Amino acid sequence: MTTTDCAACADERAAGAAFCESCGRSLNPSADAGPACPHCGTPGSIGEDGYCENCGMLAGRERDHLETDCGEVAAAVTDRGLRHHRNEDAMWLATRGPDVDVIISDGVSSSFDPDVASLTAVTAAGALLGEGGDLAAAIGSAQVAVAKLAAEGDPRRQASNPACTIVSATVRGDAVTVGWIGDSRAYWVPEEGVAEQLTEDDSWATHVIALGADPETAMRDPKAHAITAWLGADAGTVTPRTAEFVVGDPGHLVLCSDGLWNYLTDPGAFAAAVREGLREQGTLISAARWLADYANTAGGADNITVALVPITPLGGAQE
Amino acid sequence: MTYTAEAFQNEYLALGATEVNAIVTVTSSGSATGVRTGGATEVIIVDASGSMQAEGRIAAARQAAKAAVACIDDGVHFALIAGVGTAQQLYPAPGELAVATAQTRAEATWAIDRLHASGGTAMGAWLLLAAQLFAQRPGDIAHAIMLTDGDNGERQGYLESVLDSIAGRFTVDSRGVGTNWKVSELRKIADAMLGTVDIVASPADLTAAFEQMMTAAMGKTTADVQLKVWTPVNATVRFVKQVEPQVADLTGKRVADGARAGRYPLGAWGAESRDYHVCIDVPPGASGDEMLAARVSIVEGDTVHAQSLVRAVWTDDAALSTRINRQVAHYTGQAELAEAIQAGIEARKAGDDHTATMKFGRAAKLAHESGNKATSELLATVVDIEDAATGTVRLRRKVAAADEMALDTRSTKTVRVGRGQ
Repeated sequence: MTTTDCAACADERAAGAAFCESCGRSLNPSADAGPACPHCGTPGSIGEDGYCENCGMLAGRERDHLETDCGEVAAAVTDRGLRHHRNEDAMWLATRGPDVDVIISDGVSSSFDPDVASLTAVTAAGALLGEGGDLAAAIGSAQVAVAKLAAEGDPRRQASNPACTIVSATVRGDAVTVGWIGDSRAYWVPEEGVAEQLTEDDSWATHVIALGADPETAMRDPKAHAITAWLGADAGTVTPRTAEFVVGDPGHLVLCSDGLWNYLTDPGAFAAAVREGLREQGTLISAARWLADYANTAGGADNITVALVPITPLGGAQE
Repeated sequence: MTYTAEAFQNEYLALGATEVNAIVTVTSSGSATGVRTGGATEVIIVDASGSMQAEGRIAAARQAAKAAVACIDDGVHFALIAGVGTAQQLYPAPGELAVATAQTRAEATWAIDRLHASGGTAMGAWLLLAAQLFAQRPGDIAHAIMLTDGDNGERQGYLESVLDSIAGRFTVDSRGVGTNWKVSELRKIADAMLGTVDIVASPADLTAAFEQMMTAAMGKTTADVQLKVWTPVNATVRFVKQVEPQVADLTGKRVADGARAGRYPLGAWGAESRDYHVCIDVPPGASGDEMLAARVSIVEGDTVHAQSLVRAVWTDDAALSTRINRQVAHYTGQAELAEAIQAGIEARKAGDDHTATMKFGRAAKLAHESGNKATSELLATVVDIEDAATGTVRLRRKVAAADEMALDTRSTKTVRVGRGQ
């Protein structure tokens, strides 16, 4: 880049810099100056450290919104939401022909570096599934990898070790296996009727409901989302729970973090929302995006991650 | 020299919050060889007013000046000023600087023997002569030691006008011997000239004080280090304070560096570590917004030695926004401690015992909580501390002037987080 003095304020020391030290304007007004700041609109003002040289706002992080589009086989979207400053959810989606491996992890906000925990969990579990490992072993490797984080990197991790949830599913033909720790969920959404929750939350609310508490009252309790099992150095020995089933009728396997399901706690409403997204949008990826938007419209209080996998019974007539 | 700058803060702000606080710890390794890369100039100013005859002060001052001269490294430029009603150069010839060698140090020592106490006190004139001498060596590490035993005799406002004209050109460490000088006067000089102020109650302790000051000065290897603070549009710097090893407000010393940044002088540096409290007012953000509230750099001319980011992240999660950062809380307390002591001394002088008791009580509590033992001990010479934990104190009826002045001058001394606890 040829350097010029700042056209706006004639500050000579600006030579060599990308931005005028004096007035903050870009010294390279051409199109390759980079994107404009999403907050103040100053063109090409995003510095190397990701902050706007004018208004100081962080322009955005890579993980704020990510999409994985596997055409008609599967799709997943993760979004920062509206209230959290970063996306602490992570996702993994791998397909081979009609086979699908999908994993969602939600970092525990009160722990240190929860975004690192969730990404570590899905990467470790995804790698093991890719090598042909089974679901329980994959979650086991995620547990080990996340627990190790406490002793690495920032010393504050020791005081409040990185922690996260995990929900994972493998689809082999019409056979589905799900496994989970924490309160990220898997649902089966048939073409008609209510959604069937395939997982059971490791959460305070689920625990007291099982003991006989009123479900609505329990879910309204501030402790409702406190999880009783997680991945992390302080989690102790947790055996992941798994479930298997073979699809009898066509429908969609949906995995999501509580950023979505918390706005759709009623199984009927959940199924209706998924079907509306699929009907209105046509493609899987746009339906997943529609569901993330749905949660954001409802308040976006948490990070949102959702994955959709359509499954048809093998030998079924309707291809 | 290699520098590091590390920011400590709770970056999470409640919605609507606009105040961002951070403690920036700046550490320098000193030069690779441990010696100065450039030149250095030292000026020693000794009060030779008539009052210095009392208590053998002038003899002790001669002894101390000789000891300081002995500490000057070979090759350093230096001069001695005799402080009377005007400024008189004691060594070398008027208007000149000597280069330290065994020979010149010996000559300076003989010159010091000619120092006799007879005359007035004219601190403005003394500092002005020092400034003229330093002006011959631009770029040097410039440091002066000033000793006095009384009030400035110059007309009201003259010292202030001199300080305005010479501020930032050199560092001055001031010492008052005895108890007939004014803490506020020497503190004014220390604040303007980025130096220290302390009491040497007994003339016998002058030699040690001079040796310590000169040895510390010889340990400085870089002349003019600055803290550069960049802030985004619509953000303003509320204050920049040095908070360790002692409290010094640098806010008013800002020199603009473009529209968005300012530089604050940090004086000369050796191998050492200092802490700065930076407070920025920013426009409020929405939940989830992250802003760079300040980019704090250690600069020397156009060279940026180290940089640290001060961030603001707005959240509606009270668990995050109410977290107290230990460093920020600690140094906010240390700054309040210094203010409480100075206010307590003022109130006691004004005869307002109620306010004095309250302020000293607050100070005793803060000193106790932060583990600042040195300040606790100094406080105990002025008040009876009945319960430090609750800040219950009783004013002492009889307080030695030297004790109160020691408490006043050393009120700004701070301790690091976790030290002495």
